[in-house]
Amino acid sequence: MKEPEPVDLSPLDPQADAESWLRLTEATRLRVAAVLRDRELDPFAIVSGWSRPILAAAAALLMVLGAAVGTLGRSTTVRSSEARRLAYLAETSVLHGHAVTGAEVMGAIRPRAIRW
Amino acid sequence: MEESDAELVLRVREGDRRAADRLLGRYLRACRAVALATTGSAADADDVCQDAFVAAMERIDDCREPDRFGGWLLQIVRNRARNHLRQRDLRRGEPLDEEAAFGGPSPASALEHNELRRRLEVALGQLTAAQREVVLLHDLEGWKHAEIGERLELPAGTVRSHLHHARRRLREILTREETEP
Repeated sequence: MKEPEPVDLSPLDPQADAESWLRLTEATRLRVAAVLRDRELDPFAIVSGWSRPILAAAAALLMVLGAAVGTLGRSTTVRSSEARRLAYLAETSVLHGHAVTGAEVMGAIRPRAIRW
Repeated sequence: MEESDAELVLRVREGDRRAADRLLGRYLRACRAVALATTGSAADADDVCQDAFVAAMERIDDCREPDRFGGWLLQIVRNRARNHLRQRDLRRGEPLDEEAAFGGPSPASALEHNELRRRLEVALGQLTAAQREVVLLHDLEGWKHAEIGERLELPAGTVRSHLHHARRRLREILTREETEP
């Protein structure tokens, strides 16, 4: 199949009107800059953009730990018993080679927090 | 060494504006070519390609395969261009007819286009949408067959076939116009 010669499409070249193309490019660049600025102001957008699951997992762990710290901060009595449960959970985890889940951490904290 | 699309996409996700600029420089013309292939109007294509690129940056987290950013972006352009046509036809109270989009320039665009450009637009209107995309990306943007195939998700043979038929048809139409009184 012999390839036909290309037709000259240069009249359709957007850069034939260099000024107009520059305006379009600059306008687009400014709008994109605004989009990225909004992302900077929205930490959740950045977190959701993390591609590596380990980073997302670390963010989730931080949230769990934050909640745990918040709950532990309520009173000395609560803090003491919950610390014991957390220590027990950690010990069991080491002895049995079982990774502690977020649900287990929350489980160690919640019953006391609800009664309180 | 030139950064890959995947690297630039990851940097955009981290808020890197220079990476976004690189993608803009790499793809804005192609975006416009695909928008032009659908809308048939340079002015509409300018609006569509800008909106589509900005939308892509807003939704950059949705680009599941960053190494295939080009194809993902051009699909956004195509969808936006079709919506643009639909809205334009609704405003005019006409049914959507994508293939007829190139039927002829509007009175406003006729004023702004020179004669050669108008003739090319009319001739392109005689092609299928896929043929228009391929011939514009290859003969105007200088993309290789493989690049077009990868980004439009077409087999290499189909790209060659579209290009072959598009060029032949364009030449026929333009030659006929020249010989007819």
